[in-house]
Amino acid sequence: MRALPAFGAVLLALLSAVALAGPLLGLDAEAVDLMARYAPPSSEHPLGTDELGRDVLARLLAGGRVSLAVAAATALVAAALGTVIGLVAGAVGGRVDAVLMRLTDGVMALPLLPLLIVLAALDWTKLGVPVEALNSEAFAVGRLVAIIALVGWTTVARLVRAAALSVKARDYVRAAVAVGVGPVRIMRRHILPNVASPLLVATTLSVGNIILVESALSFLGLGVRAPLASWGNMLTGAMDVAVSAPQLALWPGLAIFLTVLAFNLVGDGLQRALDPRG
Amino acid sequence: MPFFRRLAVFAALLLAPGLAMAKDELVIGITQFPAAFHPSIESMLAKTYILGLARRPLTAFDAQWKLVCMLCTELPTLENGLAKREGKGIAVTYTLRPDARWGDGTPVSSDDAVFTWLVGRHPLSGVASRELYQRITRVEVKGPRTFILHFDRTTFDYNAVNDFALLPAHIERPRFESAPAEYRNRTAFEQDTTNPGLYNGPFHITEVVQGSAVVLAFNPQWTGPRPAFNRIVVKTIENTAALEANLLSGGVDMIAGELGLPLDQALAFEKRQGNRFVVTTKPSLVYEHIDLNLTSPILADVRVRRALLLAADRATLTKQLFAGRQPVAHALVPQLDWVHADDLPKYPYDPAKAAALLDEAGWKLSGGIRRNAKGDPLAVELATTAGNRSRELVAQVLQAQWRKAGIEVRLVAQPPRVFFGDTVTKRRFPHLAMFAWYSAPESVPRSQLHSSMVPEADNNWAGQNYTGYADPDMDQLIDAIEVELDRVKRKRLWRDLQVKYATDLPALPLYFRADAHIWPKALKGVVPTGHQDPSTLWVEQWRWE
Amino acid sequence: MTRLVVSRLMQSVVVLLAMSVVVYGLMGLMPGDPIDLMIASDPHLSPLEAARLKALYGLDKPWTERYLRWLGQVMQGEFGYSRLYAKPVGTAMAPALANTVLLMLTALGVALAVALPLGILAAAKAGRWIDGAINLLAFASVSVPTFWLGLMLILLFAVALGWLPAGGVDSLSGGERLRHLVLPAATLAMAGLGQFARHMRAALLGEAAADYVRTARAKGCGPLRVLLRHQLRNALLPVTTILALELGGLFSGALITETVFAWPGMGRLIFEAVMGNDFNLALSGLLLATAMTLVGSILADLAYAGLDPRVRLG
Repeated sequence: MRALPAFGAVLLALLSAVALAGPLLGLDAEAVDLMARYAPPSSEHPLGTDELGRDVLARLLAGGRVSLAVAAATALVAAALGTVIGLVAGAVGGRVDAVLMRLTDGVMALPLLPLLIVLAALDWTKLGVPVEALNSEAFAVGRLVAIIALVGWTTVARLVRAAALSVKARDYVRAAVAVGVGPVRIMRRHILPNVASPLLVATTLSVGNIILVESALSFLGLGVRAPLASWGNMLTGAMDVAVSAPQLALWPGLAIFLTVLAFNLVGDGLQRALDPRG
Repeated sequence: MPFFRRLAVFAALLLAPGLAMAKDELVIGITQFPAAFHPSIESMLAKTYILGLARRPLTAFDAQWKLVCMLCTELPTLENGLAKREGKGIAVTYTLRPDARWGDGTPVSSDDAVFTWLVGRHPLSGVASRELYQRITRVEVKGPRTFILHFDRTTFDYNAVNDFALLPAHIERPRFESAPAEYRNRTAFEQDTTNPGLYNGPFHITEVVQGSAVVLAFNPQWTGPRPAFNRIVVKTIENTAALEANLLSGGVDMIAGELGLPLDQALAFEKRQGNRFVVTTKPSLVYEHIDLNLTSPILADVRVRRALLLAADRATLTKQLFAGRQPVAHALVPQLDWVHADDLPKYPYDPAKAAALLDEAGWKLSGGIRRNAKGDPLAVELATTAGNRSRELVAQVLQAQWRKAGIEVRLVAQPPRVFFGDTVTKRRFPHLAMFAWYSAPESVPRSQLHSSMVPEADNNWAGQNYTGYADPDMDQLIDAIEVELDRVKRKRLWRDLQVKYATDLPALPLYFRADAHIWPKALKGVVPTGHQDPSTLWVEQWRWE
Repeated sequence: MTRLVVSRLMQSVVVLLAMSVVVYGLMGLMPGDPIDLMIASDPHLSPLEAARLKALYGLDKPWTERYLRWLGQVMQGEFGYSRLYAKPVGTAMAPALANTVLLMLTALGVALAVALPLGILAAAKAGRWIDGAINLLAFASVSVPTFWLGLMLILLFAVALGWLPAGGVDSLSGGERLRHLVLPAATLAMAGLGQFARHMRAALLGEAAADYVRTARAKGCGPLRVLLRHQLRNALLPVTTILALELGGLFSGALITETVFAWPGMGRLIFEAVMGNDFNLALSGLLLATAMTLVGSILADLAYAGLDPRVRLG
């Protein structure tokens, strides 16, 4: 039982190390070789080549960097957004709290995937984003981070609010308020440290989910787009030829599965380690 | 343990392979579901394909890309006297086949033609392309089966009325006349799709399982050659991997090329299953190309445009990616079109010549990338549609090939909604945009190449000359071809147009797409057409052997 | 109690209203309306024709005006025509709804049938290796990308073994339909069983510390008997709650599975309506999915209040 989180952590460390080490190995993920399409594994291409003769291993590593970066960035943005909303709701209370919590409930009730689809297909020029910026890779990734974070902050907001409420009720905090300590200071000194651990747990657990969402969006053609590789769009590309070249679908799918599993195991382990009741 | 026994029987039922297919049934797999069934409101490939089994047009292009009569008895021409010029216009006489009947026994009549014309030109009817109907000034009834279409101008394709989809007036008239603005929702094609009276082909639709299948049965009123099947099921499976799996597991008998597997998937399939299935590829008139934004300073120079084409190894690309099944294009007219010309300037892969041209144009190689005198890099952006797998692959190959020539290419893949709704139609691509033109045989590229067809904010983005190409000679050629009735003279004009196109290169020709039709070895008689008239129009020739 | 329900219902209406405005506005921000797309695919469509068609479909008006008109109609119970299917929204939606309900209920049934015993087993053997194994399985189930799982199942059972059809719903009824249901339902069930098993285990263990359990144990009841007789009854409550909360998610969340298996359900319908700019159909579908979630959460609260006398809502 105890071994599971450790297993997750090792897995995670391994995956990140391999993904980060990719560039050092000198593999080119975009080198096209039309004469060597669908090549079987060899010493030159340990996992074979894909439909354009590109090295599958190199693409797997490059895709991993993109997928992990998108997921980590999204989780952080969502956590930040959720923390601010939860803190304000919990610390200010009253009508502000009521409005923010109704908003949270509302967002939670929304059908996530269809909404993400609408968001992913938006024409950003109609919102005043210049065309040049729109076609940059940074925007393509940022757009994905923004839209997933936009619907992914609710769990954190609830957690932080609950923690804030319970801290606020404690005697020493009341005392601090009574002697005139300002609300910002209260939040920083007393509330934030207390929500740190549930926040960490929730964020870790959310990374896995975000990787799944990103791959699902890529599958529908709305996620990270070629030529940038991500596990999601590698899998989409492999879907077409899945019957004739199943190995191309196997690897990215397995990578997503293991990474999400690792994040979930580590998150669960953290939860049990940090939760005093556990 | 009766419970477990029952469970076992149940499991066996679940797992038993489907009952052996009755031989008088055919199950066709396609990748799109027809949302609506009215033949002239909103065009959709899946609808055209299925209606090909159930309805017959007046005229159509056959597999040799020749215009033939389907519901009419004889193709009207000036030579046989059935077409007569009248002033600027022309009067064309059609006679319906005496045995043409709707599925409820009512004969197809001139009255249907009049009604169809009225619906087609009504501004509220919802008919998408009224151009044809508006060119017809009058439908003159000469008899129950004979009518004359009066056109307001004479073009060489005066007798091609493929889109004049006859509607059964006896069913549709009351629905249309009571409220024309509501017609698109109230038509029997949508409200009563299984009414046999809507269909005049060898089959009629008997069941629509929304989102998944359309079932058709033999139409007893059909008097043409008896088809070999009593029942045809057209199943929709959008995911092509699942579609392929269905073919292998017997869930579908054949996959229609019109809406089937991407070519590379079909070729991989052929390698493994070539002994059980026939994979036929026919180059179509779908023209894959790259539109060039001629207002960009880089591409305004024709030497750069030619160098781009010379530096792209299109022959190797189609050989390796598509097993050579998609012929390299040298201009915009496909080989199968009778006006195709072959004596054009061509640009076979020649990196040395490309380099020389670029040097001459002032783009010198320095450290792997070419720069001009000011030091600006030769960098272009190539926009394509996301989700079209083959196109994405080709774009990545071109990027790699051009990089070798010192040209930096950035790929931008956009969802079709963005690409066609905005990027291309409003000319928002800075340099290159890769997509395809679908057209009919011998279709005049007025909207793509005429200088009056450049979409601009001022003209409300009308036209499809996205490159901004403007050349008086080209304009003249287009104007001349449209009204030239003499085939020999017209063919010469078409040749000049193709030479002009290949010389000026407003767009980079890549290849003509080929559809992959897959059917079991035992099925005979399926003939792919390669154009917008689907193979199903000749379903009565399909046979099990 | 009544007051609670009324106030929750009012809140739900507000959420639905807010969502409809946002979605309507967002869809207006999607590039190219259907007529623009028609122009792109048909070189002969003149701008004049395009303007006529836009007016015909009401697309020439600003979205705010169109939204208000739509809202007015909906208030009168009139959901309008689907532009894509040329049918009333209800008629277009009914078959998809039936397919989704069939798929969902089957998947849910299978998931529960597997997950609850696993959860009970894990709780009974808490801390042992079998608990760890079930835990790992549960995590694996929530970590697998559903479309990949679906694809792998297709490759195995439809292509390699040829036991089951790879997708689609057959028009034939009965056994044939059941065979088509197996793979998609299994995919969804696999993806869902993990959380049910974990919740079941957690709820059972949560009860383990309760006084009545200790009393029963002190009276000499065996641990298994206490678990099944006493803890299980109370632990089912939170599991039911989770189930109610999942209602809406199941509804629209099957999109991926439906896509892989060509199962024409609600997820697919909503996706196509959104991409095809079919406002009436997309909004009705989204509203229905959201309403299901909201109703689910109200039901969850009610179940809590109704089943557990310790909970008082007000």
